[in-house]
Amino acid sequence: MEDPIQPGSTALMEATALGQLFASLHDAGYAVIGPTVRDGAIILDELAAASDLPFGWGVRLEPGGYRLRRRADSAAFGHSAGPQSWKQFLHPPREKLWSARLADGAFEIGADEDATPPRLAFFGVRPCDLRAIEIQDQVLGSGRGNSRYAARRDAVLIVAVNCTEPGETCFCSSMGTGPGAGPGYDLALTELVTGDRHDFLVDVGTPAGASVLGAVPHAPAAASTVEAARTAVADAAQHMGRSMPATGLRELMAGSYDAARWDDVASRCLTCGNCTLACPTCFCTSVEDVTDLSGDHAERWQHWASCFDLDFSYLHGGPVRVSPESRYRQWLTHKLGTWHDQFGSSGCVGCGRCIVWCPVGIDITEEVAALQAEAQQTESGRTP
Amino acid sequence: MTAPVLPARYRVAGRQEETHDTVTLDLWPVDQPIPAYQPGQFTMLYAPGIGEVPVSISGTGPDAGLVQTVRAVGAVTRALCAAGPGRLLGVRGPYGTGWDVASAADGDLLIVAGGIGLAPLRGALLSALGHRDRYRRIVVLIGARSPTELVFARELDQWRCSGAEAEVTVDQPSAGWTGHVGVVTQLLPRAGVDPARTTALVCGPEVMMRLTARQLLPLGVPARRIRVSLERNMRCGVAECGHCQLGPLLLCRDGPVVSYEVAAPLLAIREL
Amino acid sequence: MTAPGASQDAPSPGAGAAELGGHAFLRGMPERYVAVLARACRPTQVPEGYRFFAEGDPANLLWLIRSGHVALDLHPPGRRLIVETLGKGDLLGLSWLVPPYEWQFGATAVQDTILFELDAALVRAACDADPGLGYELLRRVMSAASSRLQAARIRMLDLYAASSSVRDEA
Repeated sequence: MEDPIQPGSTALMEATALGQLFASLHDAGYAVIGPTVRDGAIILDELAAASDLPFGWGVRLEPGGYRLRRRADSAAFGHSAGPQSWKQFLHPPREKLWSARLADGAFEIGADEDATPPRLAFFGVRPCDLRAIEIQDQVLGSGRGNSRYAARRDAVLIVAVNCTEPGETCFCSSMGTGPGAGPGYDLALTELVTGDRHDFLVDVGTPAGASVLGAVPHAPAAASTVEAARTAVADAAQHMGRSMPATGLRELMAGSYDAARWDDVASRCLTCGNCTLACPTCFCTSVEDVTDLSGDHAERWQHWASCFDLDFSYLHGGPVRVSPESRYRQWLTHKLGTWHDQFGSSGCVGCGRCIVWCPVGIDITEEVAALQAEAQQTESGRTP
Repeated sequence: MTAPVLPARYRVAGRQEETHDTVTLDLWPVDQPIPAYQPGQFTMLYAPGIGEVPVSISGTGPDAGLVQTVRAVGAVTRALCAAGPGRLLGVRGPYGTGWDVASAADGDLLIVAGGIGLAPLRGALLSALGHRDRYRRIVVLIGARSPTELVFARELDQWRCSGAEAEVTVDQPSAGWTGHVGVVTQLLPRAGVDPARTTALVCGPEVMMRLTARQLLPLGVPARRIRVSLERNMRCGVAECGHCQLGPLLLCRDGPVVSYEVAAPLLAIREL
Repeated sequence: MTAPGASQDAPSPGAGAAELGGHAFLRGMPERYVAVLARACRPTQVPEGYRFFAEGDPANLLWLIRSGHVALDLHPPGRRLIVETLGKGDLLGLSWLVPPYEWQFGATAVQDTILFELDAALVRAACDADPGLGYELLRRVMSAASSRLQAARIRMLDLYAASSSVRDEA
């Protein structure tokens, strides 16, 4: 073994060692979740081996459009904005909260079954998604509430992957969430494919990451290699196809409740809620109490909900947000505006999934630009 | 803590029918009782096998008991209203912000209640009456649809004896009603409170709360001393499900009691 | 030009202008106008059950309630419906101001009640003679009428009723 690996250090790993990295993770007790090609998309699932990674696959992204494409190289992480995010593992779409026995006007809640969450290694977490996990940690991770989020989160090891090639719909850079991973990873990889070399620069984030890397063949990274990797990531920031205003989104949202633009977007929005499904930070849930036919056994289940659902805001005989304008407005002003008031940060990480997976191609960067223009027009119309 | 929040079991110890569709339940803890509550807070009340709804706490009973008033408007609330003595219900909480009655000390406390809105205010009133000398005047104005739809009618005399001035008005009188007829806001000019030293606690239908606040402002009560109790769809009660949002507020955490200074601009936005 | 009140069967001028001007309804009214009204005004008090007027009677008087409780009512056959109650600070009577000068409702004292009673004809004449007084009075009458209209509309909405719906909580 070479120099002992510390958090904060870097190492160079050849792509051929990915299999051993997987083995090291398995030996440490983790099931590896990562991207793989299935059903015409790059989805997230448990990977048995490194060969399941989508080597050589890329994507072509546009508003309302997603297509796989063959890359000229064999990069494993040359893609983005798949339909899923890591939230389905930390914050499951359906989860039983508890069950109870009912009898004689009384009830008794059962002992906690399946209390220990599985140890998962998230392999290939993009910086935007890493930030999204942090954001959901803020909302759901305090452990005071309904979900078992905190326990699941503690059982996760994160192998992030820095981006060197933004997708067409990405805007992480203007949201301050990428293309380089912020803190929170155990290991971060930067993929370097040049000519016939295929390597990964590895940044070690934590002792757990160091321990996993320890069992994998690696070498010290040359300064020039590190330089090349950092440059590739920095360059990516200059090539984003889209952007959001750097500051003032919270104020823009707060001042836009009466904007005419909402009617415009509502004429296109189907209120299908795809954006809330694809968005890595959307967290809303509903609970459902169910009994079996005998009435002796009750369960409470939690499941994903969307603010686009009509009954999401049900109160006293009907929804509060009836019109599509009000529901779209709720989603966007929450994501970009009131999330700050509620949770201390923006809810958007610039991953672009909502743009890609919207069936009618609504682009929130375009909507924000229009709201900003309308706000400026209203402002200049006011001052004589 | 990694387990989800589980309902604590409470037994129905008493059941009082307030009106044709409203019941007040006296609940005694069977398991570990929930933490002590502040007037204005609510619990998530569980009707076993059916579901949960947010219900304001109307007061406390002996031995960490809870008093909660429920109106039957759907499956869960009908089951809660039908729960007879001995039945077990589930309670999670207490959640939310309280009326902060103590902040009204050295001044006048004005309580304006519309319909079942009196239930969340009862705890505040009882708390103030329990420390009567901290307040100058305590005035309670109660509006109801009709004389048969008054909640806690049986307690009015007791409240008066304990040092509150209580006036009741109805929208529709029944035969023999000799009290006020009119909307509760019409009692405001005669309330006789000193506006500059008044703290107003208002609860009822949202329209009624807006009107009441809008009439208190020109009388000279500052917006930050008018508090309203807001309501939105609630599921988890712990700021994790996203349902109870009202603009920047999560009403299970930043409400339900909100100062009118904060609430006014939010209530003015349609479909917020 | 005769001063208002001088030639009619005026009520004895028993209300001091200062006393009258202290009534909530006239708050802020210039003293010279209050003085005119005072000449058409006398303090009065009535026992519980006193019938001020019935629906259809000529509206010759108006009152400012100083204390007590008055109920406005309507009488469909066999019934008495109270539409609203008034109390301290309120103006009793709106129909004296405009033709046909006929009461639309009845009014009964629910408690012993103390009031200022004013002669409607004298007040109207004083307003005709001095539009400034007329405007001041009209503004206040309009304010009372407007707030009662708003209250009536709110009561019509029946906000306290439970909303009708099959399902409550989703």
